[in-house]
Amino acid sequence: MNVLADRRHDGWRKEILGVAALAPLMLACAVNAAPVDGKIAYLTTDFHWSVYQTADGKAECPQGLVEHGPREVFTELFPSGGTEIDTHLKREALKYFPEDTQDPFPYPEAVGPIAIGLNLDDKVGPLDFTSPEGEAGIDNQLFRVIGCSRQFRGPEGQLQLFANRGIRTDLNNRSVIELSGVDSLENDDEVQVTVYRGLDRHLTDASGANIMPGGTQRIDWRFGKKYIQHMTGRIIDGVLHTDPIDTLVVPWGIFPGTFGEFMFRGAKLRLEIDDQKAVGVIGGYADIETYYRTLTNWSTHHLAYGQLDPSGFYRKMRELADGYPDEEGTMSAISSSLRIDMVQVYLDHSDPARPAQQAQR
Amino acid sequence: MRLIICASIAALASTVSMTAQAQARADASLKEDYIRAELPPGFQVVYTELEGPVYADPNGKTLYKWPYQSLRNGYVGDEKGKSVCTDTVSRTSAGLMSPYPPGLVLPNLDTRPSCTQMWPPALAGENAQPVGKWTFITREDGSRQWAYEGQALYTSALDAQAGDVLAGTSRSRRGMRHPAAREPIRPLPNVPPGFMVVTTFKGRMLVNREGYSVYVSDKDTANASNCDEQCTQVWKPVLAPALAKPQGEWSVIQRAPGVLQWAFRSQPLYTYARDIRLYTQKGSDEPGWHNVYTQLSPAIPDVFQLIDTQVGVAVGNAEGKTVYAYTCADDALDQLSCDYPGEPNVYRLAICGGGNVDRCLKRWPYVTAAAGATSNSRAWSIITIDPRTGHLAKPDAEGALRVWAYRGRPLYTYERDAPGDIKGNAMGEWSGMRNGFIALWVREDFAGNDT
Repeated sequence: MNVLADRRHDGWRKEILGVAALAPLMLACAVNAAPVDGKIAYLTTDFHWSVYQTADGKAECPQGLVEHGPREVFTELFPSGGTEIDTHLKREALKYFPEDTQDPFPYPEAVGPIAIGLNLDDKVGPLDFTSPEGEAGIDNQLFRVIGCSRQFRGPEGQLQLFANRGIRTDLNNRSVIELSGVDSLENDDEVQVTVYRGLDRHLTDASGANIMPGGTQRIDWRFGKKYIQHMTGRIIDGVLHTDPIDTLVVPWGIFPGTFGEFMFRGAKLRLEIDDQKAVGVIGGYADIETYYRTLTNWSTHHLAYGQLDPSGFYRKMRELADGYPDEEGTMSAISSSLRIDMVQVYLDHSDPARPAQQAQR
Repeated sequence: MRLIICASIAALASTVSMTAQAQARADASLKEDYIRAELPPGFQVVYTELEGPVYADPNGKTLYKWPYQSLRNGYVGDEKGKSVCTDTVSRTSAGLMSPYPPGLVLPNLDTRPSCTQMWPPALAGENAQPVGKWTFITREDGSRQWAYEGQALYTSALDAQAGDVLAGTSRSRRGMRHPAAREPIRPLPNVPPGFMVVTTFKGRMLVNREGYSVYVSDKDTANASNCDEQCTQVWKPVLAPALAKPQGEWSVIQRAPGVLQWAFRSQPLYTYARDIRLYTQKGSDEPGWHNVYTQLSPAIPDVFQLIDTQVGVAVGNAEGKTVYAYTCADDALDQLSCDYPGEPNVYRLAICGGGNVDRCLKRWPYVTAAAGATSNSRAWSIITIDPRTGHLAKPDAEGALRVWAYRGRPLYTYERDAPGDIKGNAMGEWSGMRNGFIALWVREDFAGNDT
């Protein structure tokens, strides 16, 4: 019997057991250790308007789904056709002047008690929802507007499917956040968050279908200047919580080349983060005019796929608006929530900004 | 001392050479060379400010084709060998613009022209003979109409003089082109295989065969590249094949034994490794690097400026507000335009004012011209408009406005824009391309999908 060998073997076994016992801790350390230079960045891969859906939709849409889209409205209003001016152009005019609408058509709202989102006002009010995880005081009146619209319901709703696809295909929509001053991805009582627009494609695996962490993004210092925004926050148990920012503008053209954007007032991020990804929600009061303008970049043809009549939608948004009253006391924004998925990227800060005059020949 | 003098002379020569190249690059008088081909008697090539060389009839009027193309609910345009443009006046819509059904009564029927009134067919005389790609089609009335590559040809009632290209453009849909547009026909640009020329706001831009922009460097001298190994990591020389020969404005330089590079107007050409999209001007952001144009468009008038927006460079007014053009084609089978002054105004009024003229004028004010303002080009002009009707007016007409126009169409700003905003962009049917407003884009870094 080789005692030495046995002892050596026994020692290895203890070491292996010891390492095995420490593995979860090591993994946790690897995942949540302080990032290099205290900085880590994430690139948006998916945006979905938060719509809490049950299998048959009856819980949240007891009155059924919205049925009066552009085609249905047109058929009811003009069963015998008419002139271009009094039919087609009249309806298109309403798209750009929705305040003129006198349509009588019903627009079923989504109802609670459950909705996805954040407590934006730190209160629990009578119109608030409860999150799927049980958090009370969720502010998401936009859910009432979009929750029973086929356009917004997943997985095949046009504004879920196409608009989200544009996040990956359209350079305009390349939102990036960078966390700095990070001591730990698990807990840190003060971090800085800067929002940028990136300039590069997503890094994918060999199939081209799956986005991978570890890509590089140059920062759009020039045309994306307006999207460079700063927030403060903290990390609690691996979740980033940002303080409300007065205005957060997110570039998101929902149709190629339409260059839309959404403006959130009093916006907050809540993201589960690690060294590979960030997943969570943006909550804020969506500016109604900006929202509607971006939505109506979508042609009436496309809106018709999901029975979304623009002026009817606008009327409902205005009716349920609950934030940021203007000088006349009219609410200009509606509480909302956007689900966001991101992957870790490395940021290249080096591209210098150049003014328009240098683009002249 | 002798060395210093020689170095100084070399540096001076280099500077002179670079200056000459920079001047050549900005020389608006340079025109795009094209491949000469046999033409029918009297037909000609006419240089235009925005489209470069185009084919024209014996009167100098630009020739257009109307390619068969799909819309939402069907196809319009001419199949090869046929013309669907007739002298019958369309009376109802065709329902091509989903979700609106066909059969809606078109506006202004009492004055609506037929397709052939707006697009006179280029008819061939009795003795005309086909030449090369120029052949005939037979119209329904038995007359012969010229065709190019099988495509029936027309002139436009909007074009008044040689060099006018008011009725169509070869630019992309975001360049004031209708979804079912006519476009001018042109001779092939005289470029070697592996290159193309595309029409942009700034001019006829040279790209490689995949559509990636090509660039030139200020550091290069005539037919000599100074782009070293480190430089070529980012700037890829456009290599020429071993058998490439100089031709016209094109020359071939030797980078290394057996390694040839194309040069245009004596300037070596490169692509930019960081271009991830086609037809970009991104590389020109790098100091000393420039896109290449076979022909430049006229400079924008001094009253305008280039402005940065969140998606690229647009034309702005003196205050920096984005300037827009209105683009419109109706929903009849003949797809007549409705964006030229004098054409039906109801389409624009629906989008700009919900049918209300006053609201339209407030939300989309014309870009007015100062007293005494003039334009140095035909692409940019000052026209007199009756703001109530949108029609051309006599200069002394009561209430008439002198407004700036591009391609003969009035220009606008959007009331809700602050300087640099593009809130009015793409407002209208089919994202503004069918009946709506499009910013005058000089450069769109973010248009459409990644390549």
